[in-house]
Amino acid sequence: MSTTAIPTNTKWWNGGRSPFNVSYGKVMMWYFLMSDAFTFGAFLISYGTIRFSVNHWADPNHVFSAFPFAGHANLPLAFVSLMTFILIFSSVTMVLAVHEGHRMNRKGVEKYMILTILGGLAFLSCQAWEWTHLITGDHAVLVNGQIEHWGTTVSKNPWGPMVMFEGKEVATPGPIAFGGYFFGITGFHGFHVFSGVIINIIMLIKTRLGHFDQRGHYEMIEKAGLYWHFVDLVWVFVFLCFYLI
Amino acid sequence: MSSVATVQHAGVHEVHHEHHHHETFISKYVFSQDHKMISKQFLVTGIIWAIIGGLFSVIFRLQLGFPDTTFPWLEDLLGHWAAGGKLKPEFYYALVTMHGTILVFFVLTAGLSGTFANYLIPLQIGARDMASPMLNMLSYWFFFLASIIMFASLFVQTGPASGGWTIYPPLSALGDASSGAVVGMDYWLVSMAMFIISSLLGGLNYITTILSMRTKGMSMTRLPLTVWALLFTAILGVLSFPVLFSGVILLLFDRNLGTSFYLSDIVIAGKILPNEGGSAILFQHLFWFLGHPEVYIIALPAMGISSEIISVNSRKPIFGYMAMVGSLFAICTLAFLVWAHHMFVTGMNPFLGSVFVLLTLLIAVPSAIKVFNWLTTLWRGNIRFTPGMLFSIGFVSLFISGGLTGIFLGNSALDLHLHDTYFVIAHFHIVMGVASIFGMLAGIYHWFPKMFGRYMNNTLAYIHFWVTIVGAYLIFWPMHYEGLAGMPRRYYDYSGWNSFKMFAGLNEFISFVVIIVFAVQLLFVFNFFYSMYKGRKVTNQNPWQSNTLEWTAPIHPGHGNWPGEIPEVYRGAYEYSKDGKEFIPQNVPVGEEETKGH
Amino acid sequence: MSNAVSSPEITFPHEHPGGTKRIWKVFWILSVITIIELAIGLTIYNIHKEPNPNATLVLAFKGMVCILTLAKAYYIVSVFMHLGDEIRNMIMTVVVPLCLFIWFLLAFLWDGDSTKHLRNTDAHSRPAQVEQVHQPAAVDKDAKK
Repeated sequence: MSTTAIPTNTKWWNGGRSPFNVSYGKVMMWYFLMSDAFTFGAFLISYGTIRFSVNHWADPNHVFSAFPFAGHANLPLAFVSLMTFILIFSSVTMVLAVHEGHRMNRKGVEKYMILTILGGLAFLSCQAWEWTHLITGDHAVLVNGQIEHWGTTVSKNPWGPMVMFEGKEVATPGPIAFGGYFFGITGFHGFHVFSGVIINIIMLIKTRLGHFDQRGHYEMIEKAGLYWHFVDLVWVFVFLCFYLI
Repeated sequence: MSSVATVQHAGVHEVHHEHHHHETFISKYVFSQDHKMISKQFLVTGIIWAIIGGLFSVIFRLQLGFPDTTFPWLEDLLGHWAAGGKLKPEFYYALVTMHGTILVFFVLTAGLSGTFANYLIPLQIGARDMASPMLNMLSYWFFFLASIIMFASLFVQTGPASGGWTIYPPLSALGDASSGAVVGMDYWLVSMAMFIISSLLGGLNYITTILSMRTKGMSMTRLPLTVWALLFTAILGVLSFPVLFSGVILLLFDRNLGTSFYLSDIVIAGKILPNEGGSAILFQHLFWFLGHPEVYIIALPAMGISSEIISVNSRKPIFGYMAMVGSLFAICTLAFLVWAHHMFVTGMNPFLGSVFVLLTLLIAVPSAIKVFNWLTTLWRGNIRFTPGMLFSIGFVSLFISGGLTGIFLGNSALDLHLHDTYFVIAHFHIVMGVASIFGMLAGIYHWFPKMFGRYMNNTLAYIHFWVTIVGAYLIFWPMHYEGLAGMPRRYYDYSGWNSFKMFAGLNEFISFVVIIVFAVQLLFVFNFFYSMYKGRKVTNQNPWQSNTLEWTAPIHPGHGNWPGEIPEVYRGAYEYSKDGKEFIPQNVPVGEEETKGH
Repeated sequence: MSNAVSSPEITFPHEHPGGTKRIWKVFWILSVITIIELAIGLTIYNIHKEPNPNATLVLAFKGMVCILTLAKAYYIVSVFMHLGDEIRNMIMTVVVPLCLFIWFLLAFLWDGDSTKHLRNTDAHSRPAQVEQVHQPAAVDKDAKK
């Protein structure tokens, strides 16, 4: 590791060098990600605040229980686990790309970048399916004494508390903010995945063109990697906040 | 290993070296990547905004001071918003909102830290430019874009945003709430999103540059206090603006997509809105999580600038350098923890409020340390009353007067009475508004010779100073009295209430002073632009006999700042009147006989 | 292995570990934690199916998932983002500011809970009357229509 070779008496803060032993570009990327963490943090915390302020919240196991081509089978958490694993796996391929970059192995970088991009696209496709399923879903809701059929949208939440109506249990409208937060936050995360894919494609092209070999280092891949891992990191928390608890 | 280290040190100074061969007008003045030019762009844009924002305050003060008089020229200026020479209530609120927005964000955030962070950071730490000149340029242009959008909102049919600069929902979330909430609010939100991107790009650059790009020998404890203050300002911005960004995005959704993040139980004109389950208090939390650090984003650069100028012009080391840095750090940290003291009367949990009272009152400690250190730096100093120095002392004076009333307001029990009265207006205008303007003006007067190679006119500057400081106190001091008597903020006309009739004369007086003070600011603007072209030329590389590195650069530094090697630093920034020498610049090596210190 | 320095302000070039063993190890750790999380999620689902779900138990499980999530975050940041390989200064400059989240989270949720209380009691003007609503067992709502 890099830390082993560094003398302990190095005067890091005395100027003329980076106190972090890291290039300015990477430092900036880290600070940007911290800033972005506060954006996501604010979203998730305000989601938590609203959830704490209402008596009832939609149970994720009921909302997210569908799987493509599985018809009406009740499979709670299954699809989102698939999405989580896709993202973890694309994170691994990304870190392998960075690793190949350290070894100045252009072919290896290319291979793993392609895999990472595919992982990102797969995740986005899953998200597109999940959104479509939620929005076009059709759920019986008791509104003003009449049964209506709602999908889950930013302004409609069919996952409210159950009541008895004409001898059957039927849902009432739930807090509207549920859909808003779900689509808002996963959408903002999806936007990050999308821009991450774009960045990765640019990096792939630059690798292909041999730009990094000319520069003598693959630091751009590392910076793109930091961004990509951050997207994965955010997903870990989105997964927690929307699907698990 | 050490050989590797030396090789790299040689390299660090050569990075941005001499790449300005054929500069066109566009690359030199418009899309410039030179931090000095970007700083001037921020400054000039900020001054233009300050004139607009100041003019707004004059117009609404006319309404407050002379509610029964008509001003036919207002109709020429504002069209149907002042039909018959009488300001309409809707536009009064739009003016107040835009005055706040413009002054807080466009003048005192972008104009103040944009100008001085860009100008001073590379020059004072000994760097050729910012870490990323490209992002720095983008930072200005995003600010420019934000400015254009905000400016455009002044001309939309239904008027600009009018829900107050804090844009609390539901007033800002529902188009039916007021005319300013129709399109003007969308402009406001989009403009603010651009502004946040600009401030983020700038802030990342400032932090990284200060930490990574210091010249050899420039340890953190040798940094001038301006740089420390700008560092903490940037940290505040980078970590708190994103929270407003989230809040703004959610508000845009509430406005345009039918979500209910902030809306619940609303009836407009007998119609019940479908929105349910949102919380308006949530927005206030999100807003003030930025909003309170924003106060320090505005105040810290002014503190740093004043510290520097007071030390230079007292010919004394700053008293308690480490205490100054420590108190900046403490203020920066506490700034993130106290946001809800703006919300004591909103229906927030009162017990939570009492925790915020405790945290808020803690801020008094570092603030008092700073004031003590400024005063002790001045104490028995060999003071030179340059315009910059006068404005710095003015800053300290205003910071004390405004800070003391902050202790009243930070206490939730007292705040129940004082909230939303003129007492609050007086408090924050003195402590962060006028005080920070003073810091900014001090900085302009002090570094003008460095920026433009010419001096500003001193006579005009003295007139500017005395009228402004006396005027500022005459405007805001009586407002404490009005506020304690219960006169609320954000009323269009007080003449209808018997309890406030007694203030009619006082309001008239305040408005009268506002006009004079505004006129004197125009004198400053004249002085600024006149001196830029016709001022007395600077012949001395170090006109204030200052220690910091920017004065070791040529009078007209090119892109890259120093023609040869970047000077190395051997001592702290505040070695004045030491060993019989009046000042010892930072790049002078330590002599053998010299007494130890700093 | 390359010791190429990408930027002049780097004093000591980073030496990178040769193998990919550690990366795969972390991959397995993350996978296992995720599977445990899913198991807990399904457990909570089954607890909710019971007529009288044990609220304390659910809360305990939810707390466990939160801790597991933080563990995942640690591995991603430390190994995948290589923060663990940087020097102490770098780690601190990233980790310390994130501590602001503690009070950020605490104060917001605290006030959210307070809002709920205000709503349920009409601002303390009446005793709280919340009928205990719980979602009955998986009536498959998709299948209904």
